[in-house]
Amino acid sequence: MSGVVRAAWRLGAGAARGRSGRPLSQAAAGGAEGGGAEGGSGGSGSREAVERLVREHPVVVFMKGSPAQPLCGFSNAVVQILRLHGVEDYRAHDVLQDPDLRQGIKNYSNWPTIPQVYLNGEFVGGCDILLQMHQNGDLVEELKKLGIRSALLDAEKDQDKK
Amino acid sequence: GATGPLASTIRAKLAEALEPTHLEVLDESPWHGGPPGTESHFSVVVVSGRFQGLPPLQRHRLVHAALSAELAGPLHALAIVARTPQQWESDPHAPPAPPCLGGSKHDRRRG
Repeated sequence: MSGVVRAAWRLGAGAARGRSGRPLSQAAAGGAEGGGAEGGSGGSGSREAVERLVREHPVVVFMKGSPAQPLCGFSNAVVQILRLHGVEDYRAHDVLQDPDLRQGIKNYSNWPTIPQVYLNGEFVGGCDILLQMHQNGDLVEELKKLGIRSALLDAEKDQDKK
Repeated sequence: GATGPLASTIRAKLAEALEPTHLEVLDESPWHGGPPGTESHFSVVVVSGRFQGLPPLQRHRLVHAALSAELAGPLHALAIVARTPQQWESDPHAPPAPPCLGGSKHDRRRG
Protein backbone atom coordinates (compact mmCIF):
# COMPACT_ATOMS: atom_id res chain seq x y z
CA MET A 1 0.00 0.00 0.00
CA SER A 2 1.29 3.44 -0.88
CA GLY A 3 3.25 5.08 1.89
CA VAL A 4 1.71 8.45 1.21
CA VAL A 5 -1.40 7.63 3.22
CA ARG A 6 -0.81 9.05 6.64
CA ALA A 7 -0.84 6.49 9.42
CA ALA A 8 -3.48 8.52 11.20
CA TRP A 9 -5.80 8.12 8.25
CA ARG A 10 -6.82 4.57 8.91
CA LEU A 11 -9.18 2.66 6.68
CA GLY A 12 -9.96 -0.42 8.70
CA ALA A 13 -11.10 -3.77 7.44
CA GLY A 14 -14.00 -3.41 9.87
CA ALA A 15 -15.76 -1.50 7.12
CA ALA A 16 -16.34 -4.78 5.31
CA ARG A 17 -19.40 -5.60 7.34
CA GLY A 18 -22.12 -5.03 4.81
CA ARG A 19 -25.64 -4.20 5.71
CA SER A 20 -28.83 -4.36 3.71
CA GLY A 21 -28.11 -2.10 0.80
CA ARG A 22 -30.18 0.95 0.19
CA PRO A 23 -30.49 2.36 -3.28
CA LEU A 24 -27.90 4.85 -4.40
CA SER A 25 -29.18 8.32 -3.72
CA GLN A 26 -30.97 9.93 -6.60
CA ALA A 27 -28.91 12.44 -8.48
CA ALA A 28 -30.19 16.01 -8.10
CA ALA A 29 -33.35 16.11 -10.19
CA GLY A 30 -32.67 18.01 -13.37
CA GLY A 31 -29.57 19.48 -11.80
CA ALA A 32 -27.24 18.27 -14.48
CA GLU A 33 -28.97 20.15 -17.28
CA GLY A 34 -27.56 23.25 -18.88
CA GLY A 35 -25.47 25.87 -17.19
CA GLY A 36 -21.85 26.74 -17.72
CA ALA A 37 -19.61 26.42 -20.71
CA GLU A 38 -19.97 23.07 -22.37
CA GLY A 39 -17.55 21.45 -24.77
CA GLY A 40 -18.55 21.67 -28.41
CA SER A 41 -20.84 18.95 -29.73
CA GLY A 42 -18.64 15.93 -30.22
CA GLY A 43 -15.91 17.49 -28.09
CA SER A 44 -14.47 15.51 -25.22
CA GLY A 45 -16.51 17.52 -22.71
CA SER A 46 -19.88 17.19 -24.41
CA ARG A 47 -22.73 15.37 -22.69
CA GLU A 48 -22.56 12.65 -25.30
CA ALA A 49 -18.85 12.10 -24.83
CA VAL A 50 -19.13 12.06 -21.04
CA GLU A 51 -22.13 9.75 -21.17
CA ARG A 52 -20.06 7.28 -23.20
CA LEU A 53 -17.25 7.44 -20.67
CA VAL A 54 -19.37 6.88 -17.59
CA ARG A 55 -21.04 3.87 -19.18
CA GLU A 56 -17.79 2.34 -20.37
CA HIS A 57 -17.26 0.22 -17.28
CA PRO A 58 -19.04 -0.52 -13.97
CA VAL A 59 -16.49 1.61 -12.13
CA VAL A 60 -15.36 4.90 -13.70
CA VAL A 61 -13.34 7.58 -11.94
CA PHE A 62 -12.51 11.10 -13.05
CA MET A 63 -9.43 12.22 -11.19
CA LYS A 64 -6.25 14.26 -11.20
CA GLY A 65 -3.37 12.09 -12.30
CA SER A 66 -3.64 8.35 -12.71
CA PRO A 67 -4.18 5.39 -10.37
CA ALA A 68 -0.47 4.68 -10.66
CA GLN A 69 0.37 8.29 -9.88
CA PRO A 70 -2.43 10.38 -8.41
CA LEU A 71 -1.66 14.09 -8.35
CA CYS A 72 -4.11 15.14 -5.67
CA GLY A 73 -4.74 13.81 -2.18
CA PHE A 74 -8.48 13.50 -2.76
CA SER A 75 -7.99 11.60 -6.01
CA ASN A 76 -5.45 9.40 -4.27
CA ALA A 77 -7.96 8.67 -1.54
CA VAL A 78 -10.40 7.30 -4.12
CA VAL A 79 -7.70 5.11 -5.65
CA GLN A 80 -6.64 3.80 -2.24
CA ILE A 81 -10.18 3.01 -1.18
CA LEU A 82 -10.85 1.09 -4.38
CA ARG A 83 -7.56 -0.74 -3.93
CA LEU A 84 -8.52 -1.78 -0.40
CA HIS A 85 -11.62 -3.41 -1.85
CA GLY A 86 -9.51 -5.16 -4.46
CA VAL A 87 -10.91 -3.03 -7.28
CA GLU A 88 -7.98 -2.47 -9.61
CA ASP A 89 -9.76 -2.94 -12.95
CA TYR A 90 -11.65 0.27 -13.59
CA ARG A 91 -11.60 3.23 -15.95
CA ALA A 92 -9.75 6.28 -14.69
CA HIS A 93 -9.68 9.56 -16.60
CA ASP A 94 -7.07 12.22 -15.82
CA VAL A 95 -8.84 15.55 -16.15
CA LEU A 96 -5.53 17.40 -15.98
CA GLN A 97 -4.85 16.05 -19.48
CA ASP A 98 -8.12 17.36 -20.91
CA PRO A 99 -9.57 20.74 -19.92
CA ASP A 100 -12.73 20.11 -21.95
CA LEU A 101 -13.36 16.89 -20.06
CA ARG A 102 -12.54 18.59 -16.78
CA GLN A 103 -15.33 21.11 -17.35
CA GLY A 104 -17.63 18.67 -19.12
CA ILE A 105 -17.69 16.18 -16.26
CA LYS A 106 -18.60 18.94 -13.81
CA ASN A 107 -21.46 20.03 -16.06
CA TYR A 108 -22.65 16.48 -16.51
CA SER A 109 -22.91 15.66 -12.82
CA ASN A 110 -23.61 19.22 -11.69
CA TRP A 111 -20.78 18.67 -9.22
CA PRO A 112 -18.06 21.27 -8.90
CA THR A 113 -15.04 19.23 -7.93
CA ILE A 114 -12.76 16.36 -8.89
CA PRO A 115 -12.53 13.42 -8.16
CA GLN A 116 -15.87 12.00 -9.27
CA VAL A 117 -16.86 8.37 -8.95
CA TYR A 118 -19.44 6.64 -11.15
CA LEU A 119 -20.81 3.18 -10.42
CA ASN A 120 -22.78 1.56 -13.21
CA GLY A 121 -22.98 4.88 -15.01
CA GLU A 122 -24.45 6.64 -11.99
CA PHE A 123 -22.68 9.46 -10.19
CA VAL A 124 -21.98 8.42 -6.62
CA GLY A 125 -19.99 11.35 -5.28
CA GLY A 126 -16.49 12.48 -4.55
CA CYS A 127 -13.82 11.38 -2.13
CA ASP A 128 -15.75 12.29 1.05
CA ILE A 129 -18.77 10.25 0.03
CA LEU A 130 -16.72 7.28 -1.12
CA LEU A 131 -14.90 7.31 2.21
CA GLN A 132 -18.23 7.34 4.05
CA MET A 133 -19.52 4.48 1.93
CA HIS A 134 -16.34 2.55 2.67
CA GLN A 135 -16.66 3.14 6.41
CA ASN A 136 -20.35 2.28 6.73
CA GLY A 137 -20.28 -0.82 4.53
CA ASP A 138 -22.28 0.66 1.65
CA LEU A 139 -19.40 0.35 -0.78
CA VAL A 140 -19.19 -3.40 -0.28
CA GLU A 141 -22.90 -3.61 -1.07
CA GLU A 142 -22.73 -1.38 -4.13
CA LEU A 143 -19.80 -3.33 -5.52
CA LYS A 144 -21.74 -6.55 -4.95
CA LYS A 145 -24.58 -5.16 -7.08
CA LEU A 146 -22.05 -4.68 -9.86
CA GLY A 147 -20.92 -8.26 -9.52
CA ILE A 148 -17.69 -7.23 -7.82
CA ARG A 149 -16.75 -9.02 -4.65
CA SER A 150 -14.92 -6.72 -2.30
CA ALA A 151 -11.54 -8.00 -1.15
CA LEU A 152 -12.44 -6.87 2.35
CA LEU A 153 -15.00 -9.65 2.61
CA ASP A 154 -12.21 -12.16 2.17
CA ALA A 155 -9.97 -10.29 4.58
CA GLU A 156 -12.69 -10.46 7.19
CA LYS A 157 -13.23 -14.14 6.54
CA ASP A 158 -9.52 -14.72 7.16
CA GLN A 159 -9.78 -12.85 10.41
CA ASP A 160 -12.71 -14.97 11.51
CA LYS A 161 -10.63 -18.06 11.06
CA LYS A 162 -8.07 -17.06 13.67
CA GLY B 1 -11.41 28.41 12.31
CA ALA B 2 -10.21 30.32 9.27
CA THR B 3 -10.49 34.11 9.23
CA GLY B 4 -9.69 35.29 5.68
CA PRO B 5 -12.28 36.97 3.44
CA LEU B 6 -13.24 33.82 1.56
CA ALA B 7 -13.50 31.92 4.83
CA SER B 8 -15.83 34.57 6.18
CA THR B 9 -17.97 34.43 3.07
CA ILE B 10 -18.17 30.66 3.28
CA ARG B 11 -19.16 30.83 6.91
CA ALA B 12 -21.82 33.46 6.30
CA LYS B 13 -23.37 31.70 3.32
CA LEU B 14 -23.51 28.33 5.02
CA ALA B 15 -24.99 29.89 8.14
CA GLU B 16 -27.72 31.56 6.13
CA ALA B 17 -28.53 28.63 3.87
CA LEU B 18 -28.38 25.78 6.38
CA GLU B 19 -28.84 27.33 9.83
CA PRO B 20 -26.28 24.95 11.32
CA THR B 21 -26.15 24.07 14.99
CA HIS B 22 -22.43 23.56 14.52
CA LEU B 23 -20.18 24.94 11.79
CA GLU B 24 -16.46 24.67 11.21
CA VAL B 25 -14.67 26.30 8.31
CA LEU B 26 -11.04 25.30 7.94
CA ASP B 27 -8.65 26.79 5.42
CA GLU B 28 -6.47 23.97 4.16
CA SER B 29 -4.93 25.97 1.34
CA PRO B 30 -1.43 26.06 2.86
CA TRP B 31 -1.35 22.30 2.51
CA HIS B 32 -2.31 22.25 -1.16
CA GLY B 33 0.44 24.07 -3.00
CA GLY B 34 -1.15 27.47 -3.55
CA PRO B 35 0.88 30.67 -3.04
CA PRO B 36 1.00 31.87 0.58
CA GLY B 37 -2.14 33.65 1.67
CA THR B 38 -4.25 32.11 -1.11
CA GLU B 39 -7.61 30.91 0.02
CA SER B 40 -8.44 28.02 -2.29
CA HIS B 41 -8.96 24.74 -0.45
CA PHE B 42 -11.38 24.47 2.42
CA SER B 43 -12.86 21.86 4.66
CA VAL B 44 -16.24 22.41 6.29
CA VAL B 45 -18.13 20.61 9.00
CA VAL B 46 -21.81 21.45 8.81
CA VAL B 47 -24.28 20.14 11.36
CA SER B 48 -27.85 20.97 10.43
CA GLY B 49 -31.33 19.64 10.83
CA ARG B 50 -31.83 20.44 7.14
CA PHE B 51 -29.87 17.29 6.34
CA GLN B 52 -32.39 15.06 8.03
CA GLY B 53 -33.59 12.32 5.67
CA LEU B 54 -31.17 13.29 2.93
CA PRO B 55 -28.51 10.91 1.64
CA PRO B 56 -24.90 12.17 1.58
CA LEU B 57 -25.03 13.18 -2.08
CA GLN B 58 -28.00 15.47 -1.51
CA ARG B 59 -26.45 16.94 1.63
CA HIS B 60 -23.30 17.82 -0.26
CA ARG B 61 -25.36 19.33 -3.07
CA LEU B 62 -27.03 21.64 -0.55
CA VAL B 63 -23.62 22.81 0.60
CA HIS B 64 -22.48 23.31 -2.98
CA ALA B 65 -25.62 25.28 -3.79
CA ALA B 66 -24.92 27.67 -0.92
CA LEU B 67 -21.40 28.21 -2.24
CA SER B 68 -22.03 28.06 -5.99
CA ALA B 69 -20.49 31.47 -6.70
CA GLU B 70 -17.36 30.66 -4.74
CA LEU B 71 -17.03 27.22 -6.35
CA ALA B 72 -17.27 28.87 -9.78
CA GLY B 73 -14.49 31.20 -8.63
CA PRO B 74 -11.64 30.95 -6.17
CA LEU B 75 -12.79 27.91 -4.22
CA HIS B 76 -11.00 24.99 -5.87
CA ALA B 77 -11.55 22.22 -3.38
CA LEU B 78 -14.10 21.66 -0.67
CA ALA B 79 -14.11 18.74 1.74
CA ILE B 80 -17.48 18.33 3.42
CA VAL B 81 -18.75 16.65 6.55
CA ALA B 82 -22.53 17.03 6.63
CA ARG B 83 -24.40 15.59 9.59
CA THR B 84 -27.67 15.98 11.40
CA PRO B 85 -27.49 17.21 15.01
CA GLN B 86 -28.23 13.68 16.25
CA GLN B 87 -25.42 12.22 14.16
CA TRP B 88 -22.98 14.85 15.36
CA GLU B 89 -23.94 14.31 18.97
CA SER B 90 -23.16 10.61 18.74
CA ASP B 91 -19.90 11.24 16.86
CA PRO B 92 -18.61 14.79 17.19
CA HIS B 93 -15.50 14.19 15.11
CA ALA B 94 -14.62 14.75 11.49
CA PRO B 95 -12.39 12.21 9.74
CA PRO B 96 -8.81 13.43 9.15
CA ALA B 97 -8.14 14.83 5.69
CA PRO B 98 -6.19 12.77 3.14
CA PRO B 99 -2.66 14.08 2.65
CA CYS B 100 -2.09 16.39 -0.29
CA LEU B 101 -0.05 15.13 -3.22
CA GLY B 102 0.72 18.45 -4.86
CA GLY B 103 -2.82 19.38 -5.83
CA SER B 104 -2.93 22.77 -7.50
CA LYS B 105 0.78 22.66 -8.34
CA HIS B 106 -0.21 20.25 -11.10
CA ASP B 107 -2.73 22.57 -12.70
CA ARG B 108 -1.69 24.22 -15.92
CA ARG B 109 -1.92 27.99 -16.16
CA ARG B 110 -5.52 28.94 -15.57
CA GLY B 111 -7.30 30.37 -18.59
